[in-house]
Amino acid sequence: MTHRSVFQGGLDRRRFLELGSAAALGALLPSETKAQGAELVVSNWGGDWNERIVKGFENPAFGSSQLRIVHDLAPVPERKAKLLAERRLPRGTVDVTWLSDADAYEMNSQGVLETLDVSRIPSSGHIIEKFRLPYLVPCIYGGVVILYNPAKIPTPPSSFADLWNPKYAGRVGIMDQIYFNYIYAASLANGGTMGDVSKAFPALLDLKKAVQPRLYPSHQTLAAAFQSEEIWISANYSARAVQWEKEGLPIRWSYPKEGAVFISFGAGITKRARNTEAAYQYLEAMLQPKPMGAISVATSYSVATNNAELNPEARKSLEFTADQVAKLNFVDYPYAAKSDPKWVEWWNKEFKA
Amino acid sequence: MGRVVEQGIQSLNGTLTARADSQAASSTPRSRAGWLLLPSLALVLLGLILPLFLMAKYSVSHFEAGAVVAEGLTLENYVRFFSDPFYLWILLRTLTVAFSCTVVCLLLGLPAAYILSRISHPIIKTALILATVVPLLMGNAVRAAGWMVLLADRGLVNSTLIFTGIISEPVRILYTGSAVVIGLIAVLLPFMIISLQSVFEGIGEIYEEAALSLGARPWKMFFRVLLPLAVPGIFSGCLLCFVLAVNAYATPVLIGGPSFQMMAPKVYEQAIKVYNWPFAASLAFILMGVTFILTVLSSLTLQKRYGTV
Repeated sequence: MTHRSVFQGGLDRRRFLELGSAAALGALLPSETKAQGAELVVSNWGGDWNERIVKGFENPAFGSSQLRIVHDLAPVPERKAKLLAERRLPRGTVDVTWLSDADAYEMNSQGVLETLDVSRIPSSGHIIEKFRLPYLVPCIYGGVVILYNPAKIPTPPSSFADLWNPKYAGRVGIMDQIYFNYIYAASLANGGTMGDVSKAFPALLDLKKAVQPRLYPSHQTLAAAFQSEEIWISANYSARAVQWEKEGLPIRWSYPKEGAVFISFGAGITKRARNTEAAYQYLEAMLQPKPMGAISVATSYSVATNNAELNPEARKSLEFTADQVAKLNFVDYPYAAKSDPKWVEWWNKEFKA
Repeated sequence: MGRVVEQGIQSLNGTLTARADSQAASSTPRSRAGWLLLPSLALVLLGLILPLFLMAKYSVSHFEAGAVVAEGLTLENYVRFFSDPFYLWILLRTLTVAFSCTVVCLLLGLPAAYILSRISHPIIKTALILATVVPLLMGNAVRAAGWMVLLADRGLVNSTLIFTGIISEPVRILYTGSAVVIGLIAVLLPFMIISLQSVFEGIGEIYEEAALSLGARPWKMFFRVLLPLAVPGIFSGCLLCFVLAVNAYATPVLIGGPSFQMMAPKVYEQAIKVYNWPFAASLAFILMGVTFILTVLSSLTLQKRYGTV
C-alpha cells in the first residue's frame, strides 16, 4: 500500500513549516496592520449617492492606503433584508453599513448593529450631541419641510397645513415611498405628536377630499412634476429642495412652524463584521472635517459635526438655523417600528385606494 | 386529397420507426444516462422545492410587528387575505389584468403568427422573427421607462393629442390600469407570437388546402380545421402569457404607479418593506395556488372540448 502524504505535490515538510510560521506570525501581528492591507465591505445606496461618498470621502481617505473598499450597493430595503438574513451566520458579508437613523434603530433592535466603542472613534466628540446614537455615526442630517413653486405660490408656506389649502387643489404632490412623513406632517399640523399620530389619519382623508393630491412613486417623478408645473407644493426633505433648485427646477423650501421631521444618515458596524478594525478606521476617517464637509455639499444635507470644513456660502444654504434645529421633530423609533405595518396597510387601503 | 393520405402514411411510418428505435434504445448506453438528470433535479430541489417548504412554514407563522422572527402555527395570514375585500380586490384586479393581456395578445398574435408561419421566403421570415424577438432583448425596466416617456401627462402621446387639437388638457394615461395593460401587452406579445408561430409551422398547409378544396369558406376552415388543430399550442401560449402577467412586477410598479396595486408588488412590499414575511409568503402561495387552479381548470375544459391539450 502506498502511503500518500499531505506533503506530496511540491509541498515538502520544510516548505510547510515555513508557510505555517508565516501564517502564525500573521495571526500575531497587530490587528491594525492586518486591517490596512485587507478588504472592507461597505454597504451603501448606489447611484449618485455612492459616487458622491466615494469622491468626497472614501477616495481621498483610503485611495492611497492598502485597505481595499468593496461596495455592496442596493436600495435600503434589500440591504436590510440581507443584513437580517445574515444574522444567524457566524460571519456576515458586510462590515460597515450606511443607513438612516430610523433604519439603524430597526437594525439595532434586530441585533444586526454593533454598539460602537466611542474610544475607538476619537472624533466622535465632534458629533452634535442631539444627533448622537450608540449604534450609528451620523454624518449628515435634514428634515421634511415644505417644497413649493415660488412662481405659483409667491408667499412662502409656513405650515404643513398649507398642503390642505383648497387653492392648491390638484397641485399638491405626494411621494408614495415616504408615506410615513406625510403621516407625521399631518399629525403635527393637526395637534398630534410624533409618538401619537392618530390625528393624522382623518386629516389625510380630508386632504384627499380637499385637494385631490397627486401621488408619485419616486423622488424623480415628483421632481419631474414640479418641473412641468403639474404640482406646485409638496412636503419632502430639505436636501431634495436644495438639490433640485441647484438643478434649475422651480422649487424653494420653507420651514414649517410645527418643526421639520428629522432624518439623519450615517454609518454603523455590523455585529458579524469580518474587519472590525478597518470599520472603526472608516468611521473615524469619515468624521474628519474635510470629508464631512465634502459629503454635506455633495448630498445637500446639513452636516452632523461641529468642525466640518464648509465655506460660508455652503453653510448658509445647507445648515438649519439654531431655532430650526431646536424645533426638529425626532422619530419615536419604538412607536414607529411597532406601528409601521398598520400605517402601510392604512396608506394602501384608505389613502391610495 | 391524395397529399393528405400520403402525409398520413408518412406520419404512420415515422411513428412505427420511432417505436422501433425506442425499443432498441432501451438497451443502449443512452438509456442508462438518466443520471445526467441528477444535477438539474438537485438544482430544482435545492433552489425551488426546499425554499417552497420554508415559505409554506412562514405562511402559517404568526407575525409580530417589529420582530422579524416568524413563529407559531396559525392560518391567520390566509384568513386575513380571504376576509379582507381589499386583498380580494387586488387578486381580482391582477387576474383581470392578466386575462385582458392574454386575450389581447391572442387576438393580436394569432394572425401575426399565422402569417409568419406561412411565409416561405427565408430572409423575410428570419427578419420578421427577429423583429418580433428584438423587444425581448431589452429589460422590463428600460421598456417601462420608454412607456413613461410616451404616456406621461406631458409625454409624447398627450403632447401630440394637444398639438393636433384633439384634446385641450392632458389625459391621465400613466399610472392607470390601461397603462399597465399596454405595457404588459408589449412585453407578452412576442411570447405569444413565437409560441403560436411554432404551432402553425407544425400544422401543414395541406389541411387548409383540403378544407378549402372541399368547399369550406376561409372562416369555416379556420374555426373547424385550423383552430382545433392549434388548440394545444394556443393553450400553451395563453398559459405562458397569463402566468407572466399574473406575476408581473416591474411593469405594474413603474407604469401603474402607487395607486394601481397588484399581487406581485404586494408580495414584495410585505416581504421587503414591512418585513411581514408570513403574510408575504401567504400572498405568494395564494397567487401560486390560484394560477395553478385556473390552469388545471382551463386545461380540463379544453381537453373535454377538443380532446387533447
